[in-house]
Amino acid sequence: MTITVRVNGTEQSVDAPEDTPLLWVLRDWMGLKGTKFGCGIGQCGACTVHIDGSAERSCITPVARVAGGEVSVTTIEGLADEDSLHPVQEAWLEHNVPQCGYCQSGQIMSAAALLDQEPAPDDERINEFMAGNLCRCGTYPRIHAAIRSVADGGAS
Amino acid sequence: MSEVSRRELFRLGAAGSGALVLGMVLPGCATAPDEREPTRVGAWSPNAWLEIDPQGGVAFTLDRVEMGQGTVTGITTLVAEELAVAPENIEVVFAPVGDAYINPQYGLQVTGGSASVRTSWQRVREAGARVRAVLLASAAEVWQEPVASLTTEDGHVLHPDGTQRLAYRELLEVASRQGMPEKVTLRRPEDFRYIGKHNRRLDALAKVTGEARFGIDVELEGMRYAVVARPPAIGARLVSFDDSRARQLPGVIDVLAIERGVAVVAESYWQAMKAREELSIEWDESDAVKVTQDSVFRQYRQAADDSAGDTERNEGDAARALENADQVLEAEYEAPFLAHATMEPQNATAMVTDWGLEVWAPTQGPDMARIAAARTSGYSPGEIRVHTTFLGGGFGRRLTQEYVEEVAEIASQRKEPIKLVWSREDDIRHDVFRPAMLHRFHGALADGRVRAWDHQITGPLIFDWFARNAAAAQYPWAPRMFYNTLASVGRLTEDTFLTPKDHSAIEGAVDVPYAVPDLQVRHTHSDAGVPVSYWRSVGHSHNGFAVETFMDELAHRAGEDPVAFRLRHLEDSPRHRDVLERAAEAADWGAPLPDGRARGVALHRSFGTFVAQVVEAGIEDGAIRVHRVTCAADCGRMVNPDIVRMQMEGGILFGLTAALYGEVDWDDNGRLEQSNFHDYTLMRHDETPELNILLVESGEEPQGVGEPGTPPAIPALGNALFALTGERQRRTPFRAGNADA
Repeated sequence: MTITVRVNGTEQSVDAPEDTPLLWVLRDWMGLKGTKFGCGIGQCGACTVHIDGSAERSCITPVARVAGGEVSVTTIEGLADEDSLHPVQEAWLEHNVPQCGYCQSGQIMSAAALLDQEPAPDDERINEFMAGNLCRCGTYPRIHAAIRSVADGGAS
Repeated sequence: MSEVSRRELFRLGAAGSGALVLGMVLPGCATAPDEREPTRVGAWSPNAWLEIDPQGGVAFTLDRVEMGQGTVTGITTLVAEELAVAPENIEVVFAPVGDAYINPQYGLQVTGGSASVRTSWQRVREAGARVRAVLLASAAEVWQEPVASLTTEDGHVLHPDGTQRLAYRELLEVASRQGMPEKVTLRRPEDFRYIGKHNRRLDALAKVTGEARFGIDVELEGMRYAVVARPPAIGARLVSFDDSRARQLPGVIDVLAIERGVAVVAESYWQAMKAREELSIEWDESDAVKVTQDSVFRQYRQAADDSAGDTERNEGDAARALENADQVLEAEYEAPFLAHATMEPQNATAMVTDWGLEVWAPTQGPDMARIAAARTSGYSPGEIRVHTTFLGGGFGRRLTQEYVEEVAEIASQRKEPIKLVWSREDDIRHDVFRPAMLHRFHGALADGRVRAWDHQITGPLIFDWFARNAAAAQYPWAPRMFYNTLASVGRLTEDTFLTPKDHSAIEGAVDVPYAVPDLQVRHTHSDAGVPVSYWRSVGHSHNGFAVETFMDELAHRAGEDPVAFRLRHLEDSPRHRDVLERAAEAADWGAPLPDGRARGVALHRSFGTFVAQVVEAGIEDGAIRVHRVTCAADCGRMVNPDIVRMQMEGGILFGLTAALYGEVDWDDNGRLEQSNFHDYTLMRHDETPELNILLVESGEEPQGVGEPGTPPAIPALGNALFALTGERQRRTPFRAGNADA
């Protein structure tokens, strides 16, 4: 069936079964490959996108939930402005965060949502919020420092 | 696919660590011709690695894959240094299969064994230096000035007058007429501009914008998606299947039997997965392997009782010294089967073309991938092209190529582009595991020192499983019917002049650094029939745990401080001593800690690099909590110090994950009990300890960094838990038990 989704500010229509997880609609119907498949059960966070600004796992979100164009979906491709990176992406570069990089879209989308809702989270809050995003390469300390730097910068 | 579009894939599209691999050296003629693809118009391509185009673009063909360990940055830094072009101004292209790109350590085009920088250090710098020498000679010819008076700077040759300069691109025509110098002088370390200084990862931007293209992101026109229903138990065989319900589902295109199971092809992954659930498949499990971790360790114990095994190191007379000792300390350690759990599940894409088969795969061994594709597709290796993508983690998992075998078979039958994706459940259940290993020690003390040491290691050899595609990859001209023969020959000739010795069971044990007069290390071969493979740090992952835990037990028995006790046995090992002393000092070894916390230490050299770690841990609400890890590492000269630091950080967390959670097991019917991250647990952000990494500045040859951080983390944590609770941790994953402190 034809489903309309507002993704990164643009309404797009796709012909997909309505129980299809949003992840696969983004990746395989819309060609937005930055959002990753890691587990399919909401355990790893690699597929994290923003749904009306809130960090959600697109692998367990049926596309029907965001259909109709009322709800706004943002992916890693839509996080930055046209000509400058998002502050979280800048912080990621500054701290040399990525290794294999596969989980990083999800990590960045989670961090951006956290900092958008709470500009100055403490360490415990960062730990709690980011615990849903797995990284097998072990970039957590750098992710933490990068979030910390944005939070501290934002407070000044 | 043209060179340019292959670059496009990287750019638009623009990956852990590896493991030890053994190559065979069966006598024979050269392998298939190199796959050197057409270059850009007017470009100068002086060797297998470099190409400079008339617009000034410098392309570097990277022959070691990027799986997160930093080859894109590290090896590019090497060529940048000698070519005198800033690393940021070099475009990195992933190498096709080709003789020039074979890893000299293994005789295969393999990325693993923490060997990328070590094996590129000379070769890639020389490649860059030769090209720079030709460009200098070309400028000398143009200007009619002596070569010695010219210098280079970021893609330009500078005239001695201080004002004139020629860009490399302006010299291409002259350069292409020059011969390559036989000998070149490499830049002196004191003149390095990038080596030891460049830290910014060249792949970071693509990875923070979501533009980096991994295998799973490959998109081809008209592409279909495939998933495979595989045997529910190891060794089960397909008897028959009923696909009538599956075929009625929307989007389903085909259901076909393949060597490794039943493939469902659909318009989307999601539809293929839903259809797979509707298949009724009958499996013959009469030959299935039905083991559990317990049954495997029972088997190993029996094997260890029955056979003393092969003696792999022998000094003095350990048996006699133990016999004569007043007191013998005995201990047994168990390291279980472990899954790799790369964040990017296994996948591959393939397409039949008018000339053969094209394959895209996140693989650590593109030449083995080519053999894997040849096995099942009917094409010969010369008709198959393998394109490597970014790898979403490797850790040794992608040295095994079953996903390529599967996709090649499906694509060659369907004659349409196919992307095969493994679900996370497929990825865990059908992994090739870090082998379970049993360790038995007997040790004796005299005058506060270790007098006798007998270490018996029981378990499989990884090469027995790895030979399948590795052997044939060295003889790509061999007819397909000989692939299995080559593998058998490789296995049978292991440790002869034909095939190098497989150290996977004993590495990190035979090279125990402690000075002990009577020392023996033995390996008893026992294979449970479970497919096994290389896993970050390979044999060191279990030998490091066993050796460093036993050393701690001996220290305790001797009533000695664990650091002082180790140092006493390292008189002739200055670099071991150095990292141990540094780590101990930085961790405030011996200083009081808050109640409920304790420190443990471990020291282990692997892949050439010396690493000592002190772990500070506690037990909170019945759970082990790692508070802090201090790590001192000496890997020789560092090419990108911050990447060395990242690899130590990642290596430690990888080891701690195994120590805290790592284990897979099977039920009585041979079904793997773990399937996804809810039951195959990885360490999470909120559990991450504070990491303090000390890197030793050194002018020694560069050594491995991807893996050496992992082995000591496991025993250092176990030893800390012993210091805390008095209970020795002899099996991973560790248990807090009832020993709340």
